Order: sequence, then structure tokens, then C-alpha cells
Amino acid sequence: MRALPLAAALTILPMPLAAQGQAAAAPPAPPRDTTPPGAYFGVTEYRLAREKLTLDTDTRGFTVYIIGDMEGLASVVRNATEMRPVDRGGTPQHERFRQELTDEVNAVIAGARAAGATQFIVNEGHGGTLFRNVLPDELDPAAILIRGYPKPIVMSTGLNPRVDAMMIVGAHANAGSPGVISHSFAFDSFTVNGRQLNETGIAAFIGGEMGIPMILAAGDDALTSETREMLGPLETVTVKTVFSGSAAAALSPARVHGLLRAAAARAVRRARAGQLRPLVLEKPYHVRLCLRRGYVRDDWIRTTVGRLPGVADGGSPGCFAYTTSSAEEVGNLLNEIEWTVLKP
Amino acid sequence: MRTPALILAALVAAPPLAGQGQAPSPAQQAAVRARQELFRAKRVPREAGFRVFIVPDMEGMGSAVDIHEVIAGNEGERYRTLTSPDYWDRFRLLLTKEVNATIAGARTAGARSFVVNEGHGGNMFANVLPWDLDTAAILVRGFPKPLVMVTGIDSTFGTLMFTGAHANAGSPGVMAHNFAFDSFTVNGKKLNEVGINALIAGEMGVSVSLVSGDDVLLAETREMIGGDFVPVLTKRAVGRMAAITYSPARVRSMLRTAAAEAVRREMRGQIRPFTMARPYRVDFTLRASYPDSVVTAVAGLTDFKLEQTGARSFRLVTDSAREMGYLLDTIEQVVLR
Repeated sequence: MRALPLAAALTILPMPLAAQGQAAAAPPAPPRDTTPPGAYFGVTEYRLAREKLTLDTDTRGFTVYIIGDMEGLASVVRNATEMRPVDRGGTPQHERFRQELTDEVNAVIAGARAAGATQFIVNEGHGGTLFRNVLPDELDPAAILIRGYPKPIVMSTGLNPRVDAMMIVGAHANAGSPGVISHSFAFDSFTVNGRQLNETGIAAFIGGEMGIPMILAAGDDALTSETREMLGPLETVTVKTVFSGSAAAALSPARVHGLLRAAAARAVRRARAGQLRPLVLEKPYHVRLCLRRGYVRDDWIRTTVGRLPGVADGGSPGCFAYTTSSAEEVGNLLNEIEWTVLKP
Repeated sequence: MRTPALILAALVAAPPLAGQGQAPSPAQQAAVRARQELFRAKRVPREAGFRVFIVPDMEGMGSAVDIHEVIAGNEGERYRTLTSPDYWDRFRLLLTKEVNATIAGARTAGARSFVVNEGHGGNMFANVLPWDLDTAAILVRGFPKPLVMVTGIDSTFGTLMFTGAHANAGSPGVMAHNFAFDSFTVNGKKLNEVGINALIAGEMGVSVSLVSGDDVLLAETREMIGGDFVPVLTKRAVGRMAAITYSPARVRSMLRTAAAEAVRREMRGQIRPFTMARPYRVDFTLRASYPDSVVTAVAGLTDFKLEQTGARSFRLVTDSAREMGYLLDTIEQVVLR
């Protein structure tokens, strides 16, 4: 029942229609869309989503916000066949991994519930099917599911201070790390105050400012070790050992589900005992980001990102600096960059 | 293994993508090498108890006779028409069940840890169904991976088993071939894929206790590495794509029994690791079907001291079977580019 008002709220967000119409027509010819990104998708929409989800977030009990990505799921090794649906250049094998994603999220929910968590918000974190990967009818019926694209601050949509803890399953290692299908949004590198952050780290940074700790991360051994380095001693589940960007020694999915249940329970217990702290960085935040090499070659992307409000030159081609005292603003900047690189 | 070298040979002829034309800088080369070292040093997670390393291939499994049954069609241009995904899908499940039967048999004899390393290049080394595999197993899947067919093997393993293996290039077996080669010898002795990997494992003290495949494969492997292993006859070849086959259930039952016997033999110390005199003189001839660009690229490899001995033939002299394995990896990567 609780999910209904949220679903209704999401459908009335104004920006997707115009954007989707454009993608569907798909004439790749110039001129390129030069609409200011904020007009689609930015400060206002993020705040709106946060306010809407707050309406659905319990003030009592213990609320867990779970991000579901896919590259770090049990047994995933290959992007082309396993991470993309047929209509986006993939294969039917992808469908089986949607089930796996759903199973892993359910395992985490079951573990968290056993340790006293009372509310579960699941946010789609994988763009392969435009953030429609979890099988809604197979998901734990107690969960609220945030799905679809575009949505503001893709991996932390609607995050608000009523949430008590964050978790991520299926996470992948940072751009440049020796992990399976490792990458980080549109970047080759992203640092805050000189500290490297992967996608999990960025979500933890945005949540950290609201006092929400990231308490569990699951993925390959590169992801779990780098995330412990970034965020401290959170619970991690290593589901596979990497042998190349597209090969790994994988634990059985059934074993992974068991490990996730146990780790989620431990994580909630430790969080409730105050043993897991939110990521807090010193203000102002000095963000330095370098776009992916492929995007750097694209003059339009490079100049558009360079002209975003507050963005300064970062010293080398495709690198930019941004200084702010609000993690939420960093999130909005991320949005606008994502939106820029994904534009036709 | 249906080698990706062949799969990707087709791509060599294709025009290079924009930006890939320039030679990598020394810094980029160093970074690539560092990553390669990192992955080569990786091991699968340690587990207690008697450890079994299983390499399932598909050409030699029960019932499989046609290439359409073992190819997914997404391995490259040449393979697009060589698949029938409905058949491949069915054989993935049969493959998984064969591996499960092998694990079950080994377990009854006291084995406790199981690593399954995808040995078949179909779907880029992702054929076993993770959800249907025995849940105790660690599954190594995907490509590229160091020492493709024995990725992550080390001296903690009590034994090595090959299921669904196929006969050597040129042999009259079902879907017979050998990596990227028309011929491959060490110290003048012909080695098939089982033999090559048995030598790499043998250097670590790990011996081969079970081999399953067609009659041609079993006979030639016995000659190459000796007859200590337990053989499982899955079919009798009557052509390159035809065989006398048995019920999948019967094949699984044979695998269960054989795997138990294999582990018992290992525990009793009745199987010797396969070794050869050093230095190894490795002679190989690249497949005649490859474009000349592959030969040129192999001739240009700088990481190995290769001597060209013929139009498509090369020699490596080394004291390390592992280095020979890395050469095989590199040849595949060469063809990949």
C-alpha cells in the first residue's frame, strides 16, 4: 500500500516524456541538443524526489536503502551478453541475471529484517535496461522499488535523512581498477579532497552528509577491497575473484545468497550499535574529475561540461575542478554530466 | 576448448577502430604488463580438504556431435552462423549436469573442495549454468583469463579432471582441434589440449586423474601422458560430426563412478604427475586457416624468445611450462587484436 503514492508521484515527474520522445525518434544528425541540462533534470527534480520519498520513509524503526547494481552480481563476467537486454544490443542471457539481482536484493532484505530492520527501499542502480532490472513481482513485497530513467542522482534517488543505512549489491570496482567490468559513471577518475571515490563511495559521500552510513557492499574482490579502503570497515561480501575485466572465479549464487543474508544481518546489528559511521569529508569539498577518454575526444561534451555552473578547468584535458560545501550539489553536478554524455 | 583465437581471427582482417592505430606508449605497455602480472598472481579462494580442479569442455561431452550444439554465436563473425542457440542452451544444462555428476562422485570418495574452470570458448568461456551447478563449487568463467584452461590452479589441488575433452588437431575425433594450432609438440612429442595442460599442472605436482571424451581422445591421451587416469568413454567417433552416443543419464552415472575411483587413486598415490625433460623444446604450427597477419604478429612477439622455423612454425625453448601456457594466452590475445 505504501508503495502506491510513491509510484504515482514518480509518474508525474515532468522531464522523462520530452527526453524519451527524442531518443525514440533517434535521428543521430546534428545539431545536438543544447538545452541546459538543469531544465531536464537537476536541482529541482532531485529535491522533489527527495521530498516525495521522505513521505514514504518511516520515522520509526530502521530503514535500509538498498542500491541494486549488476556488474558485481554472482557469476557475472561479460558485459555484452549478460548485462544488456536484447533490445539494447545484448542477449537473452541478461534475463537470468535480472532474476539473480532480485534474489540478491531479497537475500539482503531477509538478513536485514532478521536483525531488526523494518523498512526497505530498493533503488535501481544499473543502466543496462534504463534502470528496470529488478523483477517487481519477485521482489520482497515489503520493499519500495525506485525504477526507470531518467531519475535524479541515479544511484541515490530520493535519499533522505529518515533513512538509517545504505547497502549496495552487485557493485563494481572503480574506473581503472582491476575488477570485472570496472568503471565509474562518465569518469576515468573522481576524487573529493584528493580521495578516490568509486560509485559506491560517491553514494556513501552523498548519504554521509545526511548522516547515513554505507554498511554493506557486495561485488568482486577488487570492489570489496577498494571500498573498505575508501569507507572503512563496512561489511563486504566478495562474490568472485577477478582474473581479468571479463573473467572471474565465482562462488555459487546459492552460497552468495547465504553470505549476503548473514552480512546484511551483521551490518544492521553493527549500525544499530553505532559501530558504522557515515562518510564525512572536510568542507569545502574539492572535487576533481576527469571524463572518460572517449568523452574527452568529443569537443561538444568537453565544452558543455566545462561550462556547467561552478565548474573550473582541472589542469589537463578533460579534467575539471569543482568546489562546494554541499554533497547534494556534487550529486546534481553528476546528474548534469551524465545527462550531457547520454544526450544524442 | 573451441579456441577464441579462431573465433577472433576473423576480426584481424577488419579495419582497426579509430584511435587503435597508434602503438601504445611505454607507460601504457607498463600498465598493461602490471595488470597482467596481477591477474597471473591471483589464486582462487583457499578451501580446506581434498581439492579437485575440474576443466569441463563441450566437444567431448555425452551426446554432442555437431558444432551448432556447442557454439553460442556471439563469439565473433565466423561463429554467427555456426550456432543454433536452442541446441546450445540445452547442451549447457547437460554440461552442467555432467560436472555435477563428477563432483558428486569425487565427494563420495572424500573430496571436499571443487573448482570448475570453464574450458570451452563458446559464449566466451561462460557455458556452465551457475544456478544449476553444485553449490559447493567455485566457478571460473569469462575471458580472457591467465592459463585459460587451468586458470588459478596451484599446488593445493589434489587432482585435475578433464570432462568433455576432444581429440587433437588432425585426429579422427569428434570436433577435433588444438587451440590455435595445426600441430603442437614438446620435445618432439605431440600434445593435445589435455596434454598441454597436464604438463603445466604436472610442474606444480598436480596429476590428471580423470579424462572423459570420445574413443580417439582417450587413446591418444593415454599415449601422451600415460594410463594412470580413469577414462570415461562418452561416445565413439564415426566422423568429425557424428558418433555413437549413450544416454546422458548413463554418461553421468559413469562420470560419478569414475570420479570416485579417480579420487581414491589419487589418495592412494597411484597417479604420477605428467612431467617431461627440461628444457622443453616447444614446436608449433599455426592453423593454415589463419590470415598471414596472425603469423606476422606472432613473429613480432617480444615477451617470448621465439624462433621461426617455417612459414607458420615457431619454436620456444623454456624451462617453464607455465611460460609455455602464457605464450598460448598471448597468441590468443594477439589474434584478439
